[in-house]
Amino acid sequence: MLDLLPQFVFNGLLIGMSYALVAIGMTMIFGIMNIANFAHGEFYMLGGCITYFIAAKLNAPYLVAVPVSVAVVTGLGFLLERVVFRQLRLKSAMSSVLATIGLGLILQNGALIFFGPQPQAIPTSFSAFPLQLGPIFTTEARLFAVAVTAATLVLMYVFLNHTLYGTAMRATFQQTEAAALVAIPIDRMRGITFALGAGLAALGGALLGAIFFVQPAMGATESLKAFIVVILGGLGSIPGSIVGGIFLGVAESLGTVVSSAYKDAIGFVLVIIIMLYRPDGLFKKS
Amino acid sequence: MAFSRNLDPRTGLFLRWPVLAAVLVALPFIGLTGYELHLLIVSAIFVILSSSLSLIMGYGGLLSLAHAAFFGIGAYTSALLFMNFKFSMWVGLPAAGIVSAIAAICVGSLFLKVRGHRFVITSLAFVEIMRLIAVNAVDLTRGQMGLPGIAAPVITIPGVGTIDFASKTAFYFLAVGGAAICVWTVARIVHSPIGWGLLALRENENLGESVGVSAFRHAMIAFVVGAFFAGIAGSLYAHYTGFVSPDLFFFSYTVTMLVMVVIGGKATILGPIVGAIAFTFLPEYLRVVAQYRLVLVGVVLLATVLAFPNGIVELWSRWLRPAFLRLRSRDHAA
Repeated sequence: MLDLLPQFVFNGLLIGMSYALVAIGMTMIFGIMNIANFAHGEFYMLGGCITYFIAAKLNAPYLVAVPVSVAVVTGLGFLLERVVFRQLRLKSAMSSVLATIGLGLILQNGALIFFGPQPQAIPTSFSAFPLQLGPIFTTEARLFAVAVTAATLVLMYVFLNHTLYGTAMRATFQQTEAAALVAIPIDRMRGITFALGAGLAALGGALLGAIFFVQPAMGATESLKAFIVVILGGLGSIPGSIVGGIFLGVAESLGTVVSSAYKDAIGFVLVIIIMLYRPDGLFKKS
Repeated sequence: MAFSRNLDPRTGLFLRWPVLAAVLVALPFIGLTGYELHLLIVSAIFVILSSSLSLIMGYGGLLSLAHAAFFGIGAYTSALLFMNFKFSMWVGLPAAGIVSAIAAICVGSLFLKVRGHRFVITSLAFVEIMRLIAVNAVDLTRGQMGLPGIAAPVITIPGVGTIDFASKTAFYFLAVGGAAICVWTVARIVHSPIGWGLLALRENENLGESVGVSAFRHAMIAFVVGAFFAGIAGSLYAHYTGFVSPDLFFFSYTVTMLVMVVIGGKATILGPIVGAIAFTFLPEYLRVVAQYRLVLVGVVLLATVLAFPNGIVELWSRWLRPAFLRLRSRDHAA
């Protein structure tokens, strides 16, 4: 059993990194707009489904399909922020949650009409043969997903900490009024944040879709997982959601070994406990 | 009392109770098909769910995504009592309400201490946990296979004979009776000091508390009464369809209830009733455009939140009714 441990950790890491990609967007949207976006998992789903559409129906190579689908969903995110979310800014938590539930219905069922309900595999040029890296068996597609996600997370870090836009974004995040006082264009920041968040989730869907399957129903589950991650890491904390994502992925992967029946319940129990007693997340020092 | 004549003073809809009751009693006998009668029964069950949810989210201002959990708990309570102990619905129905209410007291005493997003997310986590229990506690619930064969009750009245509620006409009266009791109870609470307290707290919790209205106690009353009726609805559902499964805890049930309440009008008595009936019948008659149905529901939900936060009932009271009255007064003048 113990010799399989690295394998489980690796699998968990892979899933966890995709959770992180979705959760970053969700936590940024919460932090900057105070909206719990129940439709965020749908961007993950759209990323996967559009990649499938481009790769399978338009016969484009996978490596072209991924950036195109991420770009499309990023654009959609930008548009939705303009059309829908800007209206929700001053509304109550109840209104904004209801609106995002409505948006989720539209996106999920729209995708159902367009792509059909069947789970589909995204065709890639990766070899299907397993690779062995020390004690871990993996495939090219999985390695590619881990590498791209890791690179994206590093890029995100650099963007947020070492560029003007990133700094402005963090400022808006921390204190919107103060950011506005120093002439940061708040509306534009919100648009960029939303588009970026949607794009990151789409990237997660495009990468994992090449390993598992894509189908229009997958967004709803992903929203729930992302909520758990965001709450584990603390609502509004970007590093928290990365650590939380990887934590949940690895915990689920190891949880399968212990009890596969209730492994999903652990996350939800944690959510309740944290929401009630540690609203800043697991990792924040009180 | 004013509200015994007006169903809801805010909507200004003047409904005479005897007329309404007569219509409801006559409905099964005007030659409806079995299918239409079925839809009426389902509507009545959803009226219970949406009215009780409206008490929590409309008047209490608490967006609970856990209402489907209490619906499911009620359905499972009734089903398990029937399967294991052969208790009929006459035991199962009150038991379902009471078990759901007790569950609501337990989770409420934890969850109702937080508000806003934190409450929304905890309530969502609770319903997911309940679903996972229903799926995984196979010894008790038979997991995904569900519990089939839950019979409708039979009642023998001396001198009248035996009524078997397996007949749709008989069950219709049971479901409509349940819905009427639920709507009446919610209306009584809303138009009582508890209801005024709820409204005060919804508008400004700090101010309400400062004049001595306990937010926790009021939220708890709304939450527990709502859960009690959700449990009753669950029991009716179980004995009507004869089958319960973990699907009852699906998010889609929660969304259905939310849509009925929000689009109907969330802090009104009439709104959830209109919403429940509309969103039981419309999807059935929109089967022609089946695949666009849920997209449409999403669009309407989004549009309602953005443009008519108080639902379609407000559309009537704010625009249609004044226009109608203006038209009538012009006729009188002429």
